[in-house]
Amino acid sequence: MILGRVIGHVWAARRDARLQRAKLLVIRPHAIYEPAFATRHLVATDDVDAGVGDDVIVCLGAPARASAGGNDMPVDAAVLGVVDRIDWQGDAMEAPGAGPGIKRALDGVGELARGESASFARRAPSREGSGTL
Amino acid sequence: MIRGTVIGHVWATRKARGLDGQTLLLVAACDAEGRTTGRLVVASDTLDARAGEDVTVAFGSGARNVLRPGAADNKDVLCDAAIAAIVEGAE
Repeated sequence: MILGRVIGHVWAARRDARLQRAKLLVIRPHAIYEPAFATRHLVATDDVDAGVGDDVIVCLGAPARASAGGNDMPVDAAVLGVVDRIDWQGDAMEAPGAGPGIKRALDGVGELARGESASFARRAPSREGSGTL
Repeated sequence: MIRGTVIGHVWATRKARGLDGQTLLLVAACDAEGRTTGRLVVASDTLDARAGEDVTVAFGSGARNVLRPGAADNKDVLCDAAIAAIVEGAE
């Protein structure tokens, strides 16, 4: 799985019959492990009703098809979860090659304290002020 | 598979049912020399890996086989990356 942020929706009137009910989100990955995604975005189906601005867990490949409805689905990426919190340790974001996507993601999240241990929370307006998120 | 270092824990309350019960760890991928690169993968963990430990991460059907062995009937397992081993040494 990879982490990413929902940055938009895709509408399509003409689409594969199996995708008629699918909601398609545009995701900017915070990290990439497939060269095919060097475009810095991917389009994923959504199982969990994620919204723009949410940090999400995106699954790629066969599990994404399974999640979207079956092995014959024309899908290769699916949003499987909305991230509440990440407990983050170490200095990976300072490592050589730490992608701009990671830093951008962390910079955008506010209360990150660099150092021994840090965590960041997603900024969903509906959840702000709840403390634990 | 790739080598990586566990750097964190990912928490999600709103998630697909298939993710229930999976422990999701944030793994920084390593380069050939074993240094973390800053590229991140979210991997399912069944081996109780801790932050700071070096691990190998399997992708694709190999990852599904970690969670439920049996390549023929585990296509419904919602996992595309899983920790396959905790590395104690490498040379």
